[in-house]
This record gives sequence, structure tokens and C-alpha cells, in this order.
Amino acid sequence: MEIVKTENLTFEYIRRDENDNVEGITTAVDNVSIDVKQGEFIAILGHNGSGKSTLAKHLNAILFPTEGTVWVNGLDTKDLDNLWTVRNTAGMVFQNPDNQIIGQIVEEDVGFGPENMGVSTKEIWERVEESLKVVGMYEYRKSSPNRLSGGQKQRVSIAGVLAMHPKCIVLDEPTAMLDPIGRKEVIDAVRGLNDVEKITIILITHNMDEIVHADRVFVMDKGHIEMEGTPREIFSKVERLKELRLCVPQVTEIAYELKKRGLPIPAGILTIDELTEALKKCR
Amino acid sequence: MSMILNHVSYVYNPGTPMESRALNDINLKINDGEFLGLIGHTGSGKSTLVQHLNGLLLPTSGEVYFNGADISDPEFSRKDLRGKVGLVFQYPEHQLFEADVFSDVCFGPINKGLSKKEAELRAFSALKQVGIEDEYFYQSPFDLSGGQKRRVAIAGVLAMEPEVLVLDEPTAGLDPAGRDEILGMLSNIRKERGCSIVLVSHSMEDVAEYADRIIVMNKGSIVFDDTPAEVFKFSKELENMGLCAPEVTRALKKLKEEGFNVDVSCVNVRDGVETISKCFGI
Repeated sequence: MEIVKTENLTFEYIRRDENDNVEGITTAVDNVSIDVKQGEFIAILGHNGSGKSTLAKHLNAILFPTEGTVWVNGLDTKDLDNLWTVRNTAGMVFQNPDNQIIGQIVEEDVGFGPENMGVSTKEIWERVEESLKVVGMYEYRKSSPNRLSGGQKQRVSIAGVLAMHPKCIVLDEPTAMLDPIGRKEVIDAVRGLNDVEKITIILITHNMDEIVHADRVFVMDKGHIEMEGTPREIFSKVERLKELRLCVPQVTEIAYELKKRGLPIPAGILTIDELTEALKKCR
Repeated sequence: MSMILNHVSYVYNPGTPMESRALNDINLKINDGEFLGLIGHTGSGKSTLVQHLNGLLLPTSGEVYFNGADISDPEFSRKDLRGKVGLVFQYPEHQLFEADVFSDVCFGPINKGLSKKEAELRAFSALKQVGIEDEYFYQSPFDLSGGQKRRVAIAGVLAMEPEVLVLDEPTAGLDPAGRDEILGMLSNIRKERGCSIVLVSHSMEDVAEYADRIIVMNKGSIVFDDTPAEVFKFSKELENMGLCAPEVTRALKKLKEEGFNVDVSCVNVRDGVETISKCFGI
């Protein structure tokens, strides 16, 4: 069964003036139908305003479809009886770590989610320990979150979601505010969740090098899914991505330019090692 | 314009248990019309350094000179300095507050005591320079897209006609085309106004492409101060500091190890493609 499924999902933001008259309607998500299988690593790309975040907010019932349906683990998100189950199944991590940490010490913050769910005290502690270990932050469990770096804070946020034992985690630009090492820490933690814990990952990002390891990529434009495929298939279409205000990793672009100049390099080179191997064969 | 930092150190909360040294013996000269990239991991002291440039912080020891005058001098007008060194904070669009775009950009110049007419002229030219069209002038800034809002916020600082423009991660959260637009715009502003630009960034690819000179900070000290090509030669050292060289440079290094005769000092895709092409005689 699909962990996440949307059918003809459309969402409209309605702008109103002071007297509640409708001033205009913006269709942020336009007739989107996607299926995500349990355990997949999905990346969503798209320029600012393409509808990525609006789509993401439907996956754990922060927003509800204007038209169409979203199912999370088979449950219709529109059905209010399902609300808490849906939110416990699909957790969410946002861009700014400072907006999502509330505890005075790390372990307290991570325990907040399960505590709210009514998990027994003993099990809360077990979950806190386990989650912090998974993201590599266990040794900081007694620290104050405001003494941590951005990458560490973001990993604490992920642990907080993880402690709720979700089947799926949606991350909305989790690395936008981080330095290179912080980005790597977060992406490594996310890949670990997917590889080892088999948690479904839906990652929204503007950093093309972070999606190289995804199973499937969706590219959004004007609220709909414009492209879909493996990272290699997507990154083979360099010109199309540029039209959509996106780009490709630097090695992919180098390979593309060299191919245009006549070197027999396969399309969609994703890593430094692949470029090296491809060029060796050209010698 | 000249800006010199001479043996600048800064200590937060001196004499308390919270005491921490954020800057350690910084020596730096910012030249006229230079595009300077400032990199370093979170907590390396970049923001503390930047706040010394317009006198928001004063050095605990050492001096900061602007056009020969010590900014710590009681006679020195730091209010004027803030007009001459414009600081664009991270997510500057959060600081927009006026009812319409044009008034928001006028706020700084009017506050500085300029006439309404002069302020409006400056606002007009600043908005044009950041690429905001007339049709948006009388809209609420909150109805604009993220990238547009950010450009309006930058225009607000430009309208002060600064001699040095300092930007803290101006491209955070923007899509790739939006990043290029903002950085290309900064390049043009530098050319047209002749002001110096200090760009604080976590994107090695961006500073490699746009900066003439890169300052690398670690633990409150300047570790490297050189051209991008020279700085990114030290990829191992950069990695130990939580940074990295651009992907192009790392790829070329790997190719060199594998016996390709490539120039490993290339820091952007254009040059990278050229040097590999040369290897293959194409």
C-alpha cells in the first residue's frame, strides 16, 4: 500500500479584503496525483512559489485539499477523526531550526512529541534515547538547544519527529540555513533514517546535490508536477531544469558541457566518481 | 573609501562566567570597489566581524578605521557610518514594514534627514537597480514573492547610498535562478555605483563565482585571505573547518589524482569545462 497518495489534489489560497470580500484566488497546488510507497526516498524540487511547501503541508494535515483527496497510510486527511493518526504517521521538519525547538534541554525537546501522544514515561525515555542515537546527538542530550550549531539543532528537530515513530517524514528545506558541514550532517542523518530505519522520506530542497541519492524526484512548476523520474533521468534534462529556474550539480553540468563538445559521456552524471570513470573511458 | 581593521578582538560578556572570545586579532583592509566573500562555519565569528564594519559592535581591543577615523572615537559619528556602510541582514524581508514598497525604501533616507524629494529620487533609483518594476511601487510589500521582497529590502539599504554594502547570506532559501539573479544584481550594483561588497555566504560555489577575494574565518581568526583560486587549493584544511571547496574544484582534484593533466585551480564550471576539454584536445 502507498504510504502517501494524492488524487487530483488542488489547493487554492483565497485572498480577502477587510470586508471579507474575495479579492483573488491563487491556485498553489493544481491537480496533483502522486503515489509514494513505504520506504521510498522522494525529493521534490521546484522554484520559489511552485507549490512545494503547500503540497508538503497537505501530507500531515496542516492544510486540507480544496479539491481532490490525500490519503496518508490509507487514511483520508480530510476526515477529522483521522487527524492525529495522520500527524503521527507523517512527521514534518521545517526550514528554521529555531522555530521548532521548544525544550530547555535537548532530551526534553525530543520527548515533547511522544509525551503529547500519551506514551508512558518509561517508553518516552526509551524513544528519546533511541531517536537521539539515530541522528548522532545522544551525547548532547543534556545540552541546551541554544548552545548547538544549526546542523545539530536540525538533527534534534528530526529526533523530535522520530520519537513519535512516524512511518514517513516530510522535510521542507531542512538545510537552507546551514553551513556545508551542517548540511552534510542533516542529509547523512536523513539517509540513515531511510536506509536503516526504512522510514519514507519526502525531502524538499533547492540544493541539487542533496537529491542525488533519492529514489524518485518530482519537479513542480505552477502548482503541478512538471517532471518525474530518477535523479539521473531528471538531471539529464539540463536545459529544461534551467527553464524551470533550477540547476544541476556542478559535475552534472560539466559532464553535460563536455558531452556537447563531443566527448562520449553518458547523460545524467551525478557524482565526482561517475565523472572520473566516464572520462577515463574517453581516454 | 577605506576600511581597516587593526588587531581587532572582541569578547562577549567580558568578566562573567559567560565570557567568550568571538574575534581574535583580526587584521583586514577592505579596498575600494572590491567584491569580498566572507566564509566560515556557523559560530566562526563572521557575524561579529560584520557588525564591527558599521559600528554596531566596537572592538574590545584594537581599532576599526573608516576613512582614517577611529570609529571608537567619541567624536566619531557612528550614525553617519551606518549610512555609509549598509548592512543587509539574513532574511531582510522580515524587516519590511511600510504599507507600500516605495514608502518602505524611502524610510531610510527620510530618517537620515533628507528632503522628501531627494528620498524619493533615491528610492526610485534603488528600486530600479534591484529590478523592481514601477507596477509594484504602490503594492504592499507583503504581497510580493519571496525573491521580490528580498530585493525591496536590499533597495532600502541601497537608497542610503552606502560606500560598502555588507550582505549576510542574501540568497538563503531562494531557488537557483533566484540566487543567480541576486548575485548578478550585486555585481552590477558594484559596477554602477563603485561601492565595495562584502558577501557572507555558506555557498562555496557562489563566492567562488562572484568574489575577487575570499576571507575564511575559523574560531574568530582569519585563516585565509586570498583569491578564490588560491583559497580553494586548501580543500583538506577547509573541510577540517566545516567548509569545502566547490564541487568543480574537488572533481578536478580527483581527475588530477587519476592522471589527467587538468588545472586544479579552477573554481567555476566554465573554467572547469575548459581545462578538461584541453586534456582531450577539444
